[in-house]
Amino acid sequence: MFRYSISFIFLLVYSLGYAQEEAMEVPAIEKDTLVYKTAYGLRLGADISKPILAAFNGNYTGFELVADYRIGKKIYLATEIGFVEKTSIEDYSNSTSKGNYIRVGFNYNAYDNWLDMNNEVFTGVRYGLGLFDQTLNSYTPNVNSLYFPSESIDVSLTEKDLTAHWTEFIVGIKVETLRNLFVSTSISYKIVLAVEDPVNFKTLFAPGFSRIFESGTGFGFNYTIAYLIPFTKK
Amino acid sequence: MILCTAIFSGCEKDDFCTKDPVTPKLVLRFYDANDRDQLKSTERLSIWAAGKDTIQTYKSVALDSVAIPLNTTTSETIYHLKINDFDGSIASNQIATLTIQYTPEEEFVSRSCGFRVIFNDVGFSTDTSWIQDFTPALLTTIDNQSTAHVQIFH
Repeated sequence: MFRYSISFIFLLVYSLGYAQEEAMEVPAIEKDTLVYKTAYGLRLGADISKPILAAFNGNYTGFELVADYRIGKKIYLATEIGFVEKTSIEDYSNSTSKGNYIRVGFNYNAYDNWLDMNNEVFTGVRYGLGLFDQTLNSYTPNVNSLYFPSESIDVSLTEKDLTAHWTEFIVGIKVETLRNLFVSTSISYKIVLAVEDPVNFKTLFAPGFSRIFESGTGFGFNYTIAYLIPFTKK
Repeated sequence: MILCTAIFSGCEKDDFCTKDPVTPKLVLRFYDANDRDQLKSTERLSIWAAGKDTIQTYKSVALDSVAIPLNTTTSETIYHLKINDFDGSIASNQIATLTIQYTPEEEFVSRSCGFRVIFNDVGFSTDTSWIQDFTPALLTTIDNQSTAHVQIFH
């Protein structure tokens, strides 16, 4: 009786060993020849943060259209055009900037997608050009004296056709939420190349650039929804 | 996005006006009429502009230098300078009148400081009271107050 059971155990051990051997057998790796193609085309959209901001801020009106065109696996030609009217209220002045702008440049997608997904973590560079009017609505001379206090003076002095040139560095993400529909958010750091100031005043805000800090730099924020019109798949 | 909006609107106030003063005041220095290189403090000096109260910081003080504001909305400021180097009674007050005529000009400084006012083609005149002499009678411009504008001899 024991003899059988012992040989049965041996049999089990052997079969276990055999099974293990079988499992360890390395299957030949087949070269994956399947290439996931992604769409190339023109992506058109609008910045939805600006109308929202305008709804909450009575001193701001803005609208921006965005477009990009894929020219390489990771490279996109990108542009934004827009309109902004913004009143800057400072301690001693109240001025309005109003005008149009265009930014052109490239985006580089640094993200490796899975399969045929189309998401992006991108960096970009832009050249920006703004054409605007600047109106000094009112100002209060800073006389730092209560003995002869100064009062706010309404002037409504407008200087037309001012220009601003700048460069931008952008980082952002794009996510394909629905097929060909992209939601994107990005922030940008801007550096003034040249900006025209009104006579005896300063351009405190330039459309497309936003607030110009003392150092000639600025920040931007975009939240866009864009639709891809695919031309081809590569 | 709301967070970003909050951040960006939060750092709206990036600079403060650190320039002080922005609009220059008129600086007067008092010298001894007999020894014109020697500073001479005034006794019980009070200063007020025509039709206004005495300037708080210049109420019966002994000083050899004062900085007084000019009216930026007009082209003339008339100051009354009272001294009393006798006994402090009203009867022994000596009041001089200093008239300053100028052309104010507004000049943009910066976002935080706004516009300041500088004074061009400044002319001074006094009546003949305790102020025996002063110099200069004319100044091209007052655009800072780092040095005295008028030397007054008494």
